[in-house]
Amino acid sequence: MAERVAIVGVGQTVTKSKRPDVSTAETCAEVVEAALADAGMTMKDIDAVVTGSMEIADGYHNPDKWIIPELGAVGKSGFELQNVGTTGGVVACAGFALAASGVFETVLCVSWQRMDESVGAFGRGGGGLNEYWTRQYPMSPITNFARRTFAYMTNSGCKEEHLAMVRVKQDQCAMKNPHAQLKLGLTVEKVLESPVLAWPMRYLHMCPSSAGAAAIIVCPEKKARKVSKKPVWVEDYFTAHQGGGVTMAEDPSASTLKHACRTIYKRRGITNPKKEIQAWEVYEPSSSAELRWIEEVGLCEDYTAWKLFEQGKVGIDKEYPFNPSGGVTATNPIGATPIIRVIEVALQLRGDAGEHQIPGKIDRGLATAYGGQGENVVMLLRRSL
Amino acid sequence: MSAAEKQEKKEEFITFRYPRTVVYKHNLGYQSKFAHALKMGRILATKCPVDGRMTIPPRVVCPMHHVKQTEWVDQGQRGKLIAVFKINFPMFDSRTGALKNWENPIVAVELEGGARIDGWCSETDPSKLKPGMILEAVWRPPEEREGKAYDILHWKPVE
Repeated sequence: MAERVAIVGVGQTVTKSKRPDVSTAETCAEVVEAALADAGMTMKDIDAVVTGSMEIADGYHNPDKWIIPELGAVGKSGFELQNVGTTGGVVACAGFALAASGVFETVLCVSWQRMDESVGAFGRGGGGLNEYWTRQYPMSPITNFARRTFAYMTNSGCKEEHLAMVRVKQDQCAMKNPHAQLKLGLTVEKVLESPVLAWPMRYLHMCPSSAGAAAIIVCPEKKARKVSKKPVWVEDYFTAHQGGGVTMAEDPSASTLKHACRTIYKRRGITNPKKEIQAWEVYEPSSSAELRWIEEVGLCEDYTAWKLFEQGKVGIDKEYPFNPSGGVTATNPIGATPIIRVIEVALQLRGDAGEHQIPGKIDRGLATAYGGQGENVVMLLRRSL
Repeated sequence: MSAAEKQEKKEEFITFRYPRTVVYKHNLGYQSKFAHALKMGRILATKCPVDGRMTIPPRVVCPMHHVKQTEWVDQGQRGKLIAVFKINFPMFDSRTGALKNWENPIVAVELEGGARIDGWCSETDPSKLKPGMILEAVWRPPEEREGKAYDILHWKPVE
């Protein structure tokens, strides 16, 4: 029988657009040292290391060969993974599974992205889908979300002003997060004045190019209780990598998030996610994505989330405290972004989120990863078991 | 701080370029029939025997039902516009990596046969394109076709 596992240490960079002061390996070392310090551990305590970045965007292959030595982790059992934008999500889930297996006592999960070092490399990805077919189109996050958002607005009645309201809310949250990258002091007017990249996506609607990293340390229950005063328990997780080839054929705005959440909710007996889950950090690479994802995680009916923003119901201290960190539209070191979502939920559960802490009792949180044309990873975390 | 100390503290970067052209030659397998049909000016999709769902690009196995898809269905030359966007900035061409301006909007089209396909639209003003409009395929001359998406030059609104 698999063991219950907990996150006992977390570390994330203050993400920036450029980090000329450090190499990729040193960026990773920053967050590993922070996670070890948070857990009260040293590298001697680590049994296995899971690593990953979105390699196509970094421009190199098998980076663990030179990053692991610079972490001082040579000789540990190592696993390297990648899956487009959800890479950090599969790294975290693999870490959870390894710790639950009983084979390893302490697992370190590290993800990163240095988009400042490889401008243009992203275009080689071909949209993360079919090499023969999708690669022939100019697919990028911008065009992906232009199409999704067009379909969303067609189906929902959502206007450009509502997209701008989402972006302002994200910015207001990011202003309170010391690790966030973009803190712009936005207004609806400023968002609507920004240049159109591919209508309806404007410049300010899209996530930035980022350089950053994130790490977590995961242990089985016995060790977690011994080393940590505030373990964050891993309740469940699901990786849905069917992608847009399936979901977008039915609805261009949809992803696999609904399927992943429904699967987990059923397994955990969750019937009212709004009431039973208090903290949400959902991977939204654009302001419009936040609208659709709020619906797909089950907080409201399809094509109605824009009304919540019109009614002023979304914010850290409001009825829907969705993405209190400011989310991915403010900060997106792609490979690391899903682990940042996990860390932000963990901070909320521990009561350590500082100025962007959601008020009230937080017992359960949900973190996700998004990538490609509709892939998702969903991770459910608890403060108590 | 001395000039030497300043120089020591300055960040150094290493830049790589790879001027050699790498040619990838991927076998299309089951999709070869689809590519051949494009060269002939036809759009084919595979059909799921369980729910009748059409897939482009074709797949041997239905992704949802894990059954073999042996039926190929001609999707016709017309379809309904589902979504559209126009790229307003110089964006890379995934085929070459070169930055280029994209004059024609990209459209998602639901074909007469039921499958969906992406393509470029002849109408360059996206505000004139509405969901539900009927679009028709305009093909490149046969001698220019390569069994690829851009064998369809663009999708033209039907008056």
